[in-house]
Amino acid sequence: MKHTATTRFGLAALQIVLALFVLLPFFWMISVSLKPATEPFAIPARLWPTAPTLENYVTAFRPEFRTYFMNSIIVSGASVAITVTLALLAAYSFSRGKLIALTVLMGAVVIAQMFPHSAIIIPIYKMMRLADLLNTYTSLIIAYVSVTLPVAIWMLRGFLIKLPVSLEEAASIDGAGPVRVFWDIVVPLARPGVIATAVYVLIVTWQEFLFALSFTSTKEMRTLPVGLNDFIGQYGIRYGELMASSVMVSVPVIAIFFFLQRYLVAGLTAGAVKG
Amino acid sequence: MTHKDRWLLWLFLAPTLLLIAVFLYYPMIGTVFESFRDTSFINPTPRFVGFEIYEKILASRDFHEILRNSIIWTLGVVILQNLLGFAAAVLLNQGLPMQGVLRAVVLMPFILPGVVTAILWRFMYDPQLGLINSLMMRFGFFEDGAAWLASSSTAMAAVIFVAIWKGFPFSMLIYLAALQNVDQSQVEAATLDGAGPVRRLFDVTIPAIKDVILVNIVLTLILTFNYFDIVWVLTRGGPQNATHIFPTKIFETGFGQFRFGEAATYGVFSIIVLAIFVALYVIVQKSASNRRPVA
Amino acid sequence: MKFFKHTAIAAGLLLSTSMAYAQDVTLQFWDNQQTESGLSGFQKAAVDRFMAENPSIKIEVTTVPYPEYQQRLLTAVQGGNPPDIATLDQIWVGAFAQAGAVEDLTEEAKAAGLTRDQFFGGAWDSAVFNGGLYGIPFNVDVWQFSFYNKALLDAAGVDPESLKTFDGLKQAAEKMTGDGKFGVGLFGHKGEDTVVVVNSFIFSNGGKVLAEDGSCALDEAPAVEALSYLQDLSKFAPEGILNASSGDMRELFLNGSLAIEFWPALEQPTLQKSNIDWGFVNGTAPEGKTAIGTYGGWNLAVFQSSKNKEAAWKFVEFLVREDVNGDVVDLLPANKAAAGPFLAKNRDGADRIMSHLDNAAPRPLSARYLEIADLQMRLYQDVFSGKDVASSAAEACKAIDALN
Repeated sequence: MKHTATTRFGLAALQIVLALFVLLPFFWMISVSLKPATEPFAIPARLWPTAPTLENYVTAFRPEFRTYFMNSIIVSGASVAITVTLALLAAYSFSRGKLIALTVLMGAVVIAQMFPHSAIIIPIYKMMRLADLLNTYTSLIIAYVSVTLPVAIWMLRGFLIKLPVSLEEAASIDGAGPVRVFWDIVVPLARPGVIATAVYVLIVTWQEFLFALSFTSTKEMRTLPVGLNDFIGQYGIRYGELMASSVMVSVPVIAIFFFLQRYLVAGLTAGAVKG
Repeated sequence: MTHKDRWLLWLFLAPTLLLIAVFLYYPMIGTVFESFRDTSFINPTPRFVGFEIYEKILASRDFHEILRNSIIWTLGVVILQNLLGFAAAVLLNQGLPMQGVLRAVVLMPFILPGVVTAILWRFMYDPQLGLINSLMMRFGFFEDGAAWLASSSTAMAAVIFVAIWKGFPFSMLIYLAALQNVDQSQVEAATLDGAGPVRRLFDVTIPAIKDVILVNIVLTLILTFNYFDIVWVLTRGGPQNATHIFPTKIFETGFGQFRFGEAATYGVFSIIVLAIFVALYVIVQKSASNRRPVA
Repeated sequence: MKFFKHTAIAAGLLLSTSMAYAQDVTLQFWDNQQTESGLSGFQKAAVDRFMAENPSIKIEVTTVPYPEYQQRLLTAVQGGNPPDIATLDQIWVGAFAQAGAVEDLTEEAKAAGLTRDQFFGGAWDSAVFNGGLYGIPFNVDVWQFSFYNKALLDAAGVDPESLKTFDGLKQAAEKMTGDGKFGVGLFGHKGEDTVVVVNSFIFSNGGKVLAEDGSCALDEAPAVEALSYLQDLSKFAPEGILNASSGDMRELFLNGSLAIEFWPALEQPTLQKSNIDWGFVNGTAPEGKTAIGTYGGWNLAVFQSSKNKEAAWKFVEFLVREDVNGDVVDLLPANKAAAGPFLAKNRDGADRIMSHLDNAAPRPLSARYLEIADLQMRLYQDVFSGKDVASSAAEACKAIDALN
């Protein structure tokens, strides 16, 4: 797209405003994370500590932290893979089947995404206990898959409905069985929608707090959002270490997104979310 | 898919339906039952009370405050987050230098866990120690610090602001993808017809991605309505209920005060209100697009 | 011979199974991570010592950060999966006892010779519910001590002793407010620390939260008077106290801009490490009266569902023992004999702390305390936001009385 010099200048200014809006809190986060525990907070706030130190990072990068991080990756990763797979299968059925029962079931799926988590957590906890799954990855993955499935199905169904059925029909006429049609035709075409859905599931599960809190009891099983509570006491917060941990949580994920964003946007784009 | 392939359709659906039935519907139905029984931690033998708890809640001051807050919170976040998300998507789709870096940067708030976001912002808002007041004083906006989260009149706005900061990247990401799909020949045709950038936006771009807008809005509507962490950590619903919304009330009643029957009833109310929200939006949206058939 | 052989085998089998059984006892102990520093190191040493003394019992400690402790415990109990032993906040005892979740330990305490006079009275009382003893006091503290910044007091010419009276505190706060300094660290967010501080002003003024008959007493003259006083006093507190906690006030105190902060004795280690030249007085009361603080602290409870109650009791008994209690707490040991040496070693002004502890009053012992506290918080926020005190108190009392 071509712009005049003035427009370019205006747009660049807007970009800077946007970047500031996003980055200012992160800047503050880093500033607090570098403040020695002994240096009191200043009034008005100092933008940068007088004697920056990395000591908070040293204390925050405990073995527990690494455990929490790995747990988060395992739980989120597995949840994304399972949810997206199941949702794609279900969305395919919902978008291709023409039964009234399916319309009713889809309605039920849509309603299920409205259930408030704090209202259903204790019954789920009881089930997990009966199945002897408390304090395992499995319990969290099952819960995450269940609560993210409705929206994932809904997103993917909207996507699949817009794919031309003609390709599938053509393949069918050529003698491909229904499983082949799904695998060879639908799955590749659905990739952009799958990526969008995966991002959604990743974000929800990466920061999920209530289930992770209730279903895990030992430090070995905690995920990051819960693990960060270690720095919050009854009467005070260890801001420095908490912020240092937050920086350490953010950096790798930001790096991943940074390298992926091209594929992400491209993936979402490829003929996909089109109206 | 032919008639005889129907088995496959059900096979594909089976695991999903099983999970949703067992882990969402079964507990939710239990919760609905609970709302008809006066159960609490200290009164474990339930007594059937019909709609008694519903009537009690409907008559309470709390319920009306929470309903009002939930509406303001949801509308505020959904509208502003989508506007900002859309604007950012348009801005970052102009082919300017640094666009790639910025797209990644803008996604940052989105991956920060909600609890951390809230603690960070609670500190940013701190009337004495926070960065916001410090900057505002430095730039001469006002002399003394304002207590954004501690006043009933500004707390909700302050909480909504944080939710937008955290949520708009998600909307942006989806709009960005949609924008790149808009047929450029249509845009160019409009340009040749003499349409300025604003006209092009409203006449070509927005109609072309209206389905994405619908999906995005319903999605943020549901996520926002049920969002818990940010509000809970920032204010716990205070001061004086000014930021109490359904999820915080359900949590506080159930886990904070051990009153399960009442928490369950709030849960049921919450689903009803959200369903009305979504239904209203879809109806309005449908009737709007019927009235004005788009290009 | 045959007979003998058989008996020997049988005895051997019996012995080995009973030994195997004895070694199998594993107890789950949950504790709240009270301060940010965490106690795990000391606690681990104590637990190791217990296991050395009782080789047949294995203790698994789970330390839960405070913000999630209540929910985790509640979920575990509701889900039928609680630990064997846990520390319970004094204010939860009523609910957990009423729910039948924790054991009545009256008999065990009697058998072990544990009596009320060995502990701080208010802490012991907080475990008594409907005539049963549903926990043994573990640690204790009292809200609040008025910690003051000596430099700021000196600069304003304020005598620390004057902070002990309602009028003196107000005058001092007024004098020290201004020029970027704040007189008094009142706070009023939705949290239990708000409740205990306001309570102590009400108690000191001769008021109560609940009267003897269990009805709300917050609308009676002494309480209303104390609340009006606090409404006045809040003018000299930093902006924004409706979302401020004791932790926020601490940050202001530590950077030297706040003259007086309200904290339990637990605050001392933090202040000892800081650059602030500080002192403290025991709360605030009307002229000529002694301040009455609000008890805070945790009790050790044994859960009803525990399969090894005997072993669990042994561990509870161990933790409150005179020679152990001081090593495993970060508040003050609830065992008075342990509290003396603990205070002498870790706190300034041990005698004054002791007398403030002896004088303190507990919060209402009710199974519905958490609901009462919620209504109190609402009332206190109304007061701090400038609403009419008498009518707000009347409204709160109506709601509290409606709970029963």
